[in-house]
Amino acid sequence: MDVWQQLIFLLEGVPLTLSISIISFLLGIAIGFPLAFLRVYEKEVSFVIDGYEKIFRGIPEIVLMLMFYFGLGPFFPIPFGSAFFVAAFVLGLRSGANQSQIYRGAIHGVGDEQMIAGMSVGLSKWRSIWHIMVPQVFTFSTPGLGSEYALLIKDSAYVYVIGGLAEIMTISIRLKSTPPYDAITPFILAAILYIIITFPLAYYLDRWGNKRKKKIGL
Amino acid sequence: MATFVMEAKNVYKTYRIKGDKKGEEKGVEAVKDVSLTIRKGDIKLIFGPSGSGKSTFLRCMAMLDTPDKGQIYLGDECLTKSGVDLNKARARIGFVFQHIYLFRHLTALGNVELALRQVLKLPKEQARKRALDALTEVKVCDCANKYPSQMSGGQAQRVGIARAIARNPDIILLDEPTSALDPELTGEVIDTLRDLAKEGTTMLIVSHEMPFAREVAEEMIFYDEGRIVEVGPPSLFFNAPNTDRAKQFMTRIINRTTR
Repeated sequence: MDVWQQLIFLLEGVPLTLSISIISFLLGIAIGFPLAFLRVYEKEVSFVIDGYEKIFRGIPEIVLMLMFYFGLGPFFPIPFGSAFFVAAFVLGLRSGANQSQIYRGAIHGVGDEQMIAGMSVGLSKWRSIWHIMVPQVFTFSTPGLGSEYALLIKDSAYVYVIGGLAEIMTISIRLKSTPPYDAITPFILAAILYIIITFPLAYYLDRWGNKRKKKIGL
Repeated sequence: MATFVMEAKNVYKTYRIKGDKKGEEKGVEAVKDVSLTIRKGDIKLIFGPSGSGKSTFLRCMAMLDTPDKGQIYLGDECLTKSGVDLNKARARIGFVFQHIYLFRHLTALGNVELALRQVLKLPKEQARKRALDALTEVKVCDCANKYPSQMSGGQAQRVGIARAIARNPDIILLDEPTSALDPELTGEVIDTLRDLAKEGTTMLIVSHEMPFAREVAEEMIFYDEGRIVEVGPPSLFFNAPNTDRAKQFMTRIINRTTR
């Protein structure tokens, strides 16, 4: 098998790698964004959120994937029997914990004064958060979000441990173990593919963020 | 029916700051037993050394800081009682900040419109018209579509004033509205305040703009170390204040401005 054939096989893994990372990224936004605001503005629940963040930032995602897929999968085939679900779920929860911290930093960066100004015109706490903090916090977070996305693309490679998902990493390992047992080219090609698919979104996020930031003078 | 717009009764506020030693906390008594009544159309001006607690007191009036003790009344309603809808009360109080604090992600128009839409629940067209009226009143209509980062400090502060007056509040509280601006920009903000004064707007202003005070204030309040030290018309302070502390302060401030 020559390089081009290997590349064609690997390219078939790109959509799956992308969908795992993008879905987990979106799940991470859905979890991390509200958690960050709850953590800052509802002190009573902050210890629960703190626990969640510690658990998912502290346990290697490879352990979590094995645990959910092989540990829970046999007992709850729906949804944990699906390798795709487990991959997106674990990475999404981990990303939620990371993103919560990114947004929390951004909330402090935007500053308490904006909240006070919101309250001063008669908005309630949660309305101030919605109308004033949310739009600014998202802008403020873009550099962090770019690297979080890059991290998810890379971490999607862990999925090979649960098998059954033909994403880039899994395919390159398969190529290694099929004749002519080439142990270098598949991985070099995989590396190049990872770089290519990581940067467009990260770059775009960064540029969008910088443009917005300039406009609002941050 | 209350005869006053706002009243503070024996208000106390202590806030904590980090002490010199690690982990130590110090209490700063910013407001000690302060009482003040403001009637409709009153223009009162609070002045005094920096760090004396004037801003804290003003924030307590708007319940942006909760007083430790004492009562704040807005008309007949006691704001310091528990269970009061403070958002509704704050909608009736305009607040202008020293550091302006415009919403950075909104244009001037957006800044003024937000509360009209979200608090007063006006329909879109009506809110827009009222916001434009307010911007016109403070003469920054040409900035309507600019973001705060694209305005000068004086323009931004006038937008801040427009944001405060657009709701037709019962009273406007202004916390050193000109002290964060370049000297050449304070003039335009002062002119705006002068216009508001002419229209009979009820205002409580923290400021050190003495010529302005002399011109528009009915009453000046000298505030030091968390207390009201002396109260009187401008003529009292500009001629012969009763307390030594006020005398000292006035001498210093007048020397500074005439030099």
